[in-house]
Amino acid sequence: MSNAPDPATPAATSPLPEKLKRLPTSAAKNYATFCSSHDEAALTQLIIAVLVDHSPTRAGGIETWGDHIRLVEDVGFDSLAIAETVFFFEDLFNISINNEEIAQLGTIGELRAFIMRKAAVLAA
Amino acid sequence: MKRVLVTGLGWVSSIGNDKATVSDSLRKLTHGFEAVTWLGNPKITTKVLGTVKGFRIPTPEWRDWSWPDHYTIPPEILRSLAPHGLYALCASLQALADAGLRTADIGNCETGLFTASAGSPYMLHHFLGQMHQAKAERGNPMGVVSSISGTLNFNLATYFKIQGAVCGYVSACASSNHALGHALDDIRLGRHKRALVVGAEEVQAESILPFAGMRALSVNPDPDTASRPFDRRRDGFVGTGGAVALILEEAGEAKARGAHIYAELAGWGQAGDGYNVAMSHPEGRGLATAMERAIKDAEIDARDVDYVNAHATSTPVGDRSEAIALKRVFASAERQPWVSSTKALTGHGLSMAGALETAICALCINEKFIPGCAHLEDIDPACEGLNLPRKSLSEAPAVVLNNSSGFGGSNVCLVLRSWND
Repeated sequence: MSNAPDPATPAATSPLPEKLKRLPTSAAKNYATFCSSHDEAALTQLIIAVLVDHSPTRAGGIETWGDHIRLVEDVGFDSLAIAETVFFFEDLFNISINNEEIAQLGTIGELRAFIMRKAAVLAA
Repeated sequence: MKRVLVTGLGWVSSIGNDKATVSDSLRKLTHGFEAVTWLGNPKITTKVLGTVKGFRIPTPEWRDWSWPDHYTIPPEILRSLAPHGLYALCASLQALADAGLRTADIGNCETGLFTASAGSPYMLHHFLGQMHQAKAERGNPMGVVSSISGTLNFNLATYFKIQGAVCGYVSACASSNHALGHALDDIRLGRHKRALVVGAEEVQAESILPFAGMRALSVNPDPDTASRPFDRRRDGFVGTGGAVALILEEAGEAKARGAHIYAELAGWGQAGDGYNVAMSHPEGRGLATAMERAIKDAEIDARDVDYVNAHATSTPVGDRSEAIALKRVFASAERQPWVSSTKALTGHGLSMAGALETAICALCINEKFIPGCAHLEDIDPACEGLNLPRKSLSEAPAVVLNNSSGFGGSNVCLVLRSWND
């Protein structure tokens, strides 16, 4: 049996994490949906909401951008903004993301896939 | 040697967030204090604070903060700011506008940034709490730059793209006078044409209440009398925070662009007490020497001084030692300067105090008045002999001293002078 915390169980019964209260209400809803049913579409929407919130320049249209969009070159993230985003997910899902893994996160799609993989492992 | 002028002021203070309000408060002796309950605990004996109005900082999360609508603060700077960094940015933007400068005018090699704050114990406590909770397995990447001493210069230098000197001062309550003194020297020596000097502090419990452990805070619950420098019944200081920014410019540069000139920053002096980690020397040894050095540096005589903005924080020991120092410095002068401590109105801004009071002195020179000694009713015998005006005076001070003293016996005195060139 894994000692890794299961994000689905506490989220289904615990109050909404404090940091989600500052995002649009749809983010909290998507978080709850993912935690109760492991719905990948809900997680995708949650990730996009977090990216929008952490986008340093508040670039318009990020919600509709595709997976190929690069976080640094296209969206204007700097390494600290990426680290902040990673910290947000680490804290939300109680996971750890190491430096080598962060270095692989160049695009929105890579970040989304990575978070999904990490969260899915924990939720399994 | 080049001469240096004060050409812009920005205020986030307990007595006002703009020049007109601060001036009115000083003239009418209207204080900025409110009764507060700290940490939800009514048993805490410190009851009064010099509050910062117009800003709301309910949590360490910047997304929860609010500030006056006329400031546009982008998320990319907010994410690494402490609360006093937000105050400092607003005060700096105000000072730039007051000086008739654009942000782009200071993003160059010829502008220096000199800051003073104690950092943010509030943010540091929050981030270290997070670290312990996660057993140090993760942490907020902005935790360091938004909390440690230096957070002001890290953030302001980045925002304004400062490429000259970027530095911070940590001599406690003398810090921002140190920042001003060193900025003055750098411009005098031709290293910079301009300087942005900023002092800032927070009003959170984490910044103020540790002083209760030293028995340095007033326990008088009445906002109308809790801060009363030089009064026999004074019992400690009232804390405050906010931010004050000053624009200093080399005189030729300022005149060439037709800048409004508040005053000349004409000289400074510093000296240590060599005595105690927290208490000032009983006879104000270091402070007296700092004043004498400042007077010499400005090439004036003690008799030329019209007004002294005293450091006097309303503590029994500190006010007494400053009074003795003042009497020593002006003992042989043919005329005695007026003396008041505007901390009776503002509270004690700690690292911010020097910047706040230097800005007040520049304002007084420019607007031709001298602030009175608010709340002073029963003069401490040790302070008798000082020229302590009970009300603000409609007199134009030509030469003004501003004193600051910090822990470890660090004393700094600045000289400001009216500019008639």
